[in-house]
Amino acid sequence: MPQEPVGGGGAGFDLDRPWRVDERVAVRPEPFGALLYHFGTRRLSFLKNVTVLTVLQSLDEHPSARSACAAAGVPADALPVYERALATLAQSQMIQRRCA
Amino acid sequence: MTEQAVLEQAVIEEKVQVTGPVIEPAEDEALVADELLVEEVSIDGMCGVY
Repeated sequence: MPQEPVGGGGAGFDLDRPWRVDERVAVRPEPFGALLYHFGTRRLSFLKNVTVLTVLQSLDEHPSARSACAAAGVPADALPVYERALATLAQSQMIQRRCA
Repeated sequence: MTEQAVLEQAVIEEKVQVTGPVIEPAEDEALVADELLVEEVSIDGMCGVY
């Protein structure tokens, strides 16, 4: 499956595209949220709440990240915060764009 | 406490209220939440990591 390069920070993240967790990422749920480990980059990411973990785990089931956020119960006024969080995860290759 | 002392105390308390810092907790919480939602760590170079 072809992967498009991910650009920039939060401003470069497209909430309306489909995303998925990278195959090389292990997700370990924790009481505070989750711990992610990328076997390719050897980087760790800490998700600091359960909602962002729910968003992450459901990305593959939704046509867009926006849809995944809505389904996880992210309120509209908090969406920019989650967009930046997903942008951070995209920059560190924890998540990737996928074909629709 | 005399009446004058009570008045002076009231004036002091009023000044404190007027000049005290304006705290906007909602904004502070949003900033904290933004910073803490994802935190990244690299383990490259750590002893014992292959």
